[in-house]
Amino acid sequence: MVGLLKRYRELILVAVLLVLPLGVYFAHAKHPSERSRLDRVILALTGPIEKGITWVIGGTLGAWNGYVDLRRARERAIALQQEVNLLRLDRMELLRVKEESARLRKLLGFAQEAPDRRVLGGRVIGVRLDPKGLQLITLDRGADDGIAPMTPVVVAHGVVGRVHTTTASTADVLLLSDRNSSIAVRVDRSRARANVRGTGSPDFCRLEYALRSDDMIEGDLLVTSGTDGIFPPGLVVGQLTGLKRSGQGLYQRADVKPAVDVTKLEEVLVLASSERRAEEPPQAAMAPLSTGAAAGAKP
Amino acid sequence: MRPICAFVFALVLTSVQAALLRYLGGGAVSLALALPIIVYLGLQAGNVDGAVGAAGVGYVIDLMAGGPKGLMTFLAVALFLVSRVAGAALSVQGMAGFAVLSGAGTALYGLAALAFTRAIAPVESAPAYSLVWRVLVEAVLTGALSPLVLIAMRRLEGLYVREEQGLLR
Repeated sequence: MVGLLKRYRELILVAVLLVLPLGVYFAHAKHPSERSRLDRVILALTGPIEKGITWVIGGTLGAWNGYVDLRRARERAIALQQEVNLLRLDRMELLRVKEESARLRKLLGFAQEAPDRRVLGGRVIGVRLDPKGLQLITLDRGADDGIAPMTPVVVAHGVVGRVHTTTASTADVLLLSDRNSSIAVRVDRSRARANVRGTGSPDFCRLEYALRSDDMIEGDLLVTSGTDGIFPPGLVVGQLTGLKRSGQGLYQRADVKPAVDVTKLEEVLVLASSERRAEEPPQAAMAPLSTGAAAGAKP
Repeated sequence: MRPICAFVFALVLTSVQAALLRYLGGGAVSLALALPIIVYLGLQAGNVDGAVGAAGVGYVIDLMAGGPKGLMTFLAVALFLVSRVAGAALSVQGMAGFAVLSGAGTALYGLAALAFTRAIAPVESAPAYSLVWRVLVEAVLTGALSPLVLIAMRRLEGLYVREEQGLLR
């Protein structure tokens, strides 16, 4: 027996290396386990590499854009000044509407529904839109900054996804385009409810559980409904396209064009809970950003 | 030494790949630069150190993919065996041969991963057929860049492999 084992030891080792991972996969495929301590240590090693490369390339591009590529700066400055003037007018109008809304809310006795959230800015340092695995981006903020799994991640014009896992200094964000991502939404116009599920392709998602009788038309804006307990209500998710209403069945089918182009993300906002964890040292607090500041996809 | 070298190189390479993809298309296309390392092991390493190295690289891919663990490790060892058989059956010479084998291996690996996930995952989150083209694009790009991995692996191995004079390999 020992002789047999010795004779075929290479074959046995290869067979074990084949069978063991497959067994682990089948055991955990339907109920994924948490990452082990070893996994976290190894993943933490990748953070500095990604940060370093981002720093070098970002610095080089920043220097180019800031000092070298100034040829059209004057024309852009004039155009931007005009835009600022228009935006100032818009802002005045919005402030007026906001004050009016606040007065009406007070009159109607509306309570503030959403809990207070801290808005943290994060820079994208890694992109893993792997068709074989999950659609993830890596942020340069992690558990030390108070980011926890399931925290919503957005940019100024829409939903990006939610935090999947964290290390001390980085966080992996599961994008809304991932096939495991499902977000509860409403049609902004008719308030009809449905879910938006990713397809694995960054450029389109799928509408699920939209009742056939619900009022939906192509081009409708979809916003988060807040009923999934992850995203606060009212965040833009995408736009309805390719609506198909068959003569039978309970649901209508449609594609959703995400509001955010996930392939062009540079900075994002993490809507962290306002409650700081007990074990977290107070000096780990990060500089909160105001909503809409320094966040957005590259145009 | 070879398995550790493959593991560390795969870890560095996947990190570099993730950081660079942020600037190169932002994820519109993907790469799998760790897979040519497995192909290299299939062509150059022995049964034991090659299989262990491939499992190490697969573990890194598993970690980076973020899904349930095990599938990528299994497929990595399977790719090692396929590369070994291909290396024995075909004459894989030079950078072009390595690139073709890496591209084909990446395509097989990706399609097998999709098939397994589709068989196991719940219906609503099963990968769609539309992902096949992304896998094929990934295979072409990975194959095209694999000669760089080949050069890097040769240089890395040159740091610790010392050839004995007078012996035929």
